[in-house]
Amino acid sequence: MRGGADRRDWSGLLFVLPFLTAYLIILIYPLLSGMALSFQRVDLFGGGRFVGFDNYARLFADETFVRSVLNTFALALMIVPLLTVIALSLALALNRATRGAAVFRGVFFSSSVLSVTIVTLIWRFVLAPDAGLLGETAQAIGAEPIPFLSHPTWSLWALAITTIWWSVGLPMMLFLAGLQQIPGDVYEAAALDRASRWTTFWRVTLPALRRTLVLVVMLQTAAQLQIFGQAQLLTGGGPGGSTRTMVLFIFESAFARWELGYATAAAEILFLLIVLITLTQYVTTMRASEGEDGR
Amino acid sequence: MRRFFLVAAMLLAGSCSGAGGGGGDRAEIYLQRFFGECGAEYGSATDVSKVEGECGIITAMINKFNASNPDVHVSSNVVAWPGYPQLSAQMAAKDPPDLVTMHTGVISDYAAEGLLEPIEPYLAEAGLAPSALTEASRSAVTIGGKLFGLPFDTHGGLFHVNTKLFAQAGLMKDGKPVLPTSPEEMLAQARQFTERTGKPYLIQSLVGDNAYAARNVYTYLLAQNAVLFPSPRRIRLQTPEAERIVDFFRGITASGVSTRNQDTPAAIGSFMSGEGGIYPTGTWMIGQFEAEANTPGRPLYQSYTVYPYPRLWGQDVSYVSGHAWVVPKRERSPEQRRAIARFFRFIADHNFDWARTGHLPAFQAVVESPAFKALPHRTNIAPVATTGRPLPGGVQRQNAIEGLVGEEVAAAFNGQKSTRQALADAERRVNELLAQTEA
Amino acid sequence: MAAEASRSRWSPLTLLAILLAAAVMLAPLIWTLLLSLKENEALIGNSGAALSPPYTLENYRSILQGNQVFRWLVNSIIVSGGTTIGVLALCSLAGFGFARLDFPFRRTLFIFVLLGLAIPEQAVILPQHQLFADLRLHNSYPGLILPGLAGPFGVFFMTQYMRAIPKELDEAAMLDGASRFTLFWKVLLPLTMPAQATLGVFTFLASWNAYWWPLISATRSDMYTLTVGLAAAQMNYAQTSGLGFLMAQAVFASIPIFIVYVLFQKQIVRAMAGTAVR
Repeated sequence: MRGGADRRDWSGLLFVLPFLTAYLIILIYPLLSGMALSFQRVDLFGGGRFVGFDNYARLFADETFVRSVLNTFALALMIVPLLTVIALSLALALNRATRGAAVFRGVFFSSSVLSVTIVTLIWRFVLAPDAGLLGETAQAIGAEPIPFLSHPTWSLWALAITTIWWSVGLPMMLFLAGLQQIPGDVYEAAALDRASRWTTFWRVTLPALRRTLVLVVMLQTAAQLQIFGQAQLLTGGGPGGSTRTMVLFIFESAFARWELGYATAAAEILFLLIVLITLTQYVTTMRASEGEDGR
Repeated sequence: MRRFFLVAAMLLAGSCSGAGGGGGDRAEIYLQRFFGECGAEYGSATDVSKVEGECGIITAMINKFNASNPDVHVSSNVVAWPGYPQLSAQMAAKDPPDLVTMHTGVISDYAAEGLLEPIEPYLAEAGLAPSALTEASRSAVTIGGKLFGLPFDTHGGLFHVNTKLFAQAGLMKDGKPVLPTSPEEMLAQARQFTERTGKPYLIQSLVGDNAYAARNVYTYLLAQNAVLFPSPRRIRLQTPEAERIVDFFRGITASGVSTRNQDTPAAIGSFMSGEGGIYPTGTWMIGQFEAEANTPGRPLYQSYTVYPYPRLWGQDVSYVSGHAWVVPKRERSPEQRRAIARFFRFIADHNFDWARTGHLPAFQAVVESPAFKALPHRTNIAPVATTGRPLPGGVQRQNAIEGLVGEEVAAAFNGQKSTRQALADAERRVNELLAQTEA
Repeated sequence: MAAEASRSRWSPLTLLAILLAAAVMLAPLIWTLLLSLKENEALIGNSGAALSPPYTLENYRSILQGNQVFRWLVNSIIVSGGTTIGVLALCSLAGFGFARLDFPFRRTLFIFVLLGLAIPEQAVILPQHQLFADLRLHNSYPGLILPGLAGPFGVFFMTQYMRAIPKELDEAAMLDGASRFTLFWKVLLPLTMPAQATLGVFTFLASWNAYWWPLISATRSDMYTLTVGLAAAQMNYAQTSGLGFLMAQAVFASIPIFIVYVLFQKQIVRAMAGTAVR
């Protein structure tokens, strides 16, 4: 055996041990104890007895929970495609080395550094029909303001708009980074072929951005399925439960109604859903791209 | 790398002291309350008689207590109303505060879990006799023969009235607003009001204010003598009485004589700007509205009065609740216990100041005092002391129930759900919740 | 860079679209700023007043006269800073171990860590709350920092980065008789600075904006982070009606992170780019 750094012995373990300890105690142990809790009837202050799948059975029969799942999916479907398209458009428009482009990039990313509480605070006073910017504008032009926060048809859109405004920066940056990776000669070739801009976009740019696109969609889907702050702060899940998301349901079940076992079971379902959906996205896009490469 | 760790370790270690906050010889009391945060306005106020509103008065009271008790320090944690999820998180974390504001209807939840201390020892130490409390407030904090909180007030819903607009609508008689005595009359008056003033008769906060919708339903169910809780673990809402109430408010909201899309701040703003006739909200707004009514130039100047919810069905009865100070169980030093007793004494001594918010006093002597009777509008609202009814004490999770009932019926008021559907959903959700509580 | 895209000027239509989008982006921020510059009384029932003078700095003066926002700001800095330092330390060490050393069960352990990438925060937050209650760690800085240190993303990221550094460096250093720690500290760590910056920026931002965990762990107002403190202020607004003051708090709380953003914009942008290119 030589004296190389990768000589096989236990001492290498010392380097990974600090992280492993934190990982085991703070992530893995709670993960397992959460699974155990989900099979118990247990309240926030202790007690608890094994009830099998009772909590899960109750959840599937609980209209409020089912509604929260549907709300969450609806939100993800409203946010992810729009956000992706907007971010991609911005990236395409701002992908140039001018000063103006840099300034605009800064503008569109700026909201991303704000915390959810500030974002909801800002948007509450944009959307509120009585005290908000939109309401005041509508009144100024003599129109009836849209009841964004108080009507079930609009309330999910209120959350979606707020979220898109808040999080457009990161995907835009990711797309910009992806665009920088595309070699210039590809475009030169396209120009020689007299391809229109539109054709160039579909034939050259988009295929080259495939990996980034998958990354953005997966990251955003996972993030939006876990929406909490916007729903809690902007609409409180209302009106009439129309904006109660899964995570808000979990929060309320645990801390307002003390049903820890029930809340944990809902969290396990959310966990499963996120894993399933992101895995599906990953597998389908990978298969699709394999098919493409094989052409 | 070692330096790296050292810095990190120091940071972590040094930070631990931040949570403890050792204050030398002073007894540290950690108080948690709602009523809002107004340190910017009243952060240094200690003259309780010079401030207005729940937030201002409680802030000044605590400042005064700290100033006059140098050996005790009360630090306040202001939580967003009603703060129960946060309190529950603290109790689950085994780190509850020393004193907490709590609605009387909620006390039984925490007491049943063994999370609260009975307060008789503190009362004894403070030299306060339970018999000094009003009957209503004492019974509201008594569970199984023990007191689990020091009552602070009795409060309920009131009709706050803009008399200038009422006069304009021809709804004043002998200097008093004409309030309805039946649902039909209310609708007719509302139409007359809106026709003549061009403004909404009713200002309703139907957005994010479950308490408002629930208060209306509770009040008029109690008035009709309807049995809301056949047993402590069962609610009954699918009744003709409940449908009558919800249909009525649904109708009045739909007929264009009411605001629709306001949350509480917007509703308060509307009423203070003279943009509506009646704002049904609680006793707690009297002080602030009265202050507006006494300020020349304000839209509400000399045009404010307040009355209990009018009788629309059945008897003249309204739903009331109360605020109380509870002491969560945890280890405490004898100095801290004495400090809590002293705070109780202080709260009792300043019950009149608190009653200036508009709430009804918790101590009988204050109710009967000339000073209280001399406060504006108190004769109007005095009947609430006898007509007020709480929910049955044995019902647990009253705050969560109010949230569920309010959420559903507010959707019906707003026309987003049918009355029957809303009541059926509310009943189902509450009963599911109650079924999960330990018997 | 794509040469075609970078030199051509924007067409008028594109420029118009960009300007419109920028207006949508900025209008809420400007509106917030204007509200914060108004007297609270002037805004009651009429927030449209914010669009016209007079403006005042009164609300900011109130904040400077002693407000808990300061304390929350300090807490946020300590928590985000502590989390960032902790994550960088733990992940660099672990990344070095996994990428450059060999030890029994290395592959198994690495896969075990990678599986953690699939665990969303929400799946573990309730049992975590129980755990931290048992350890009496709520309402403390360690209680706020530690959960941020357990995420496996940083380890994955640092391992990938360190794998890409040529192995010859190690051998040369070991021939000089350097210990493994010296190798890590003196040779590899300096080479990972770009990765440290990327991971640091992400960790700091994520920690700065964390909401649910501090909401249930930091339940005492002197331990609130800015995020939680402003949530409380926002929900208390119904009982205080100081709209201008509320917005001034929001603006005040955003200033530090905006300064950080403007100062480090280049690094942040590069950090963003760094994640996409791997």
